[in-house]
Amino acid sequence: MHIDWFVLFCQIFNFLLLVYLLKRFLYGRIIQAMDAREAKMVARFDEAEDMRSKAKEVVETYDRKNQFFNEKSEQMLNEASQAAEAKRKELIEKVRADVELIKVRWQDMLIREQEAFFQDLRRRASQQIYATARRALTDLADADLEQRIVDVFIRRIRELDKVKSEEIRKAISSGGNRVVVQSAFGVSDEMRRQIESALKKQITNGFTIRYMMEPEIVSGIELRVNGHKIAWSLNDYLETLVENLTETLQREAQGVS
Amino acid sequence: MEIVAVNQISPDQVILWSWGFITINVTIIYTWLVMAILVGGSWLITRNLSTDINTSRWQHLLEVVISTIRSEIQEMTKKGADDYIPLIGTLFLFICLSNVLAIVPGYVPPTASLMTTAALAICVFIAVPMYGISRNGLLHYLKEYFQPNFIFFPFHIMGEISRTLALTVRLFGNIMSHEKVIGILLSVTPLVFPVIMQALGLLIGVIQAYIFAILSMVYIASALGAEEEFHLEVKSEGIPA
Repeated sequence: MHIDWFVLFCQIFNFLLLVYLLKRFLYGRIIQAMDAREAKMVARFDEAEDMRSKAKEVVETYDRKNQFFNEKSEQMLNEASQAAEAKRKELIEKVRADVELIKVRWQDMLIREQEAFFQDLRRRASQQIYATARRALTDLADADLEQRIVDVFIRRIRELDKVKSEEIRKAISSGGNRVVVQSAFGVSDEMRRQIESALKKQITNGFTIRYMMEPEIVSGIELRVNGHKIAWSLNDYLETLVENLTETLQREAQGVS
Repeated sequence: MEIVAVNQISPDQVILWSWGFITINVTIIYTWLVMAILVGGSWLITRNLSTDINTSRWQHLLEVVISTIRSEIQEMTKKGADDYIPLIGTLFLFICLSNVLAIVPGYVPPTASLMTTAALAICVFIAVPMYGISRNGLLHYLKEYFQPNFIFFPFHIMGEISRTLALTVRLFGNIMSHEKVIGILLSVTPLVFPVIMQALGLLIGVIQAYIFAILSMVYIASALGAEEEFHLEVKSEGIPA
């Protein structure tokens, strides 16, 4: 085999030149780039790991805060509901008290109205009865009602027992020998004379009588002396009538409520 | 009957220009072509290298090739590979590209020339002691030739020469014979069969490149490894029993 020394050395030179060129243009650069990328990736991984640990810390902090806020909100909710319940009870109590107050007022007002009504009723009834009785007495007997009243009054004086008569006598003497006779109507002189004589005959002699008109004494006449009284009027009948009427009305009211 | 003469397929025999002892034949021309492709391609791709995650496809390709070579060397030396990459990597890339380009019609691989393979083998022959000496020193390296005793010195020398010769002839023989087989098949068989052989030739070309590079690395590693063993022996002797 022929050996061409020139070609042999030329190829050796070519190869060494190629080694040099590739070292310069290929291996050095590529290896450098790979190492740089590797370093960069390691740095990125480190950074990512660092960020992950930070994120974990943040998440843990957030979880802790969240838990704290949950507990806090639950506690606040409980407190608020308790406060609301207390407030509700308080308001209910207040409303109940108010209602009770209004009820009491209303009842008072009702009672007052009732009383006023009965007062009025009694007055009207008595006037009506008085007028009716007067007319009836006038129509039936030819006698003056006032005279009849005075007659009844005189009869009552006469029918007093001894003990009562003595008590009244003492009362007259201790009250300055003054007697007040009140009547719803004007007492005539004749009537005054009859009353005076009846008193003198039944009780005592030394006293003065003062006559007074008093419309409150319904269709009646009364004698008052130091806590003692001799009287006749329609009031007693009217009061009985009013009591009966009141009872009836109350029963009706209770039945309605 | 000679179907194809060796000089017909050896690129050394096709002389393009000659002046005195200076001869420019096809081997040199094709060597320059391969060198131009390798250097030019490398220059083009490595002009704008990216150190970011996003890289070009060509950069990816180069990185894959280089990192594969790197890991192969790493496996053998168990140490840093960057010192050996220029030599071993260039051997592999040059032989591989030379052989693969055989697919192009009219091209003859420079490795089919005995001069080229001899030049590569001589480079390895010189590089092995250079790496050994640069790593461990001249004296220690030379002592290795007299192990276990001085009688083995000629055998070591013969071993060195024979393995260099083996490198030369193995690559030359494979590539040249493949070219010759293709030539023979073209003259005796239909057109399809040589195509299959051509494909097989590509495989053989790559395998030969791998073998050449790996064997070179093995020789270098053995030179380094032998020195390390020697160091270990010195150390063990120094320790009092």
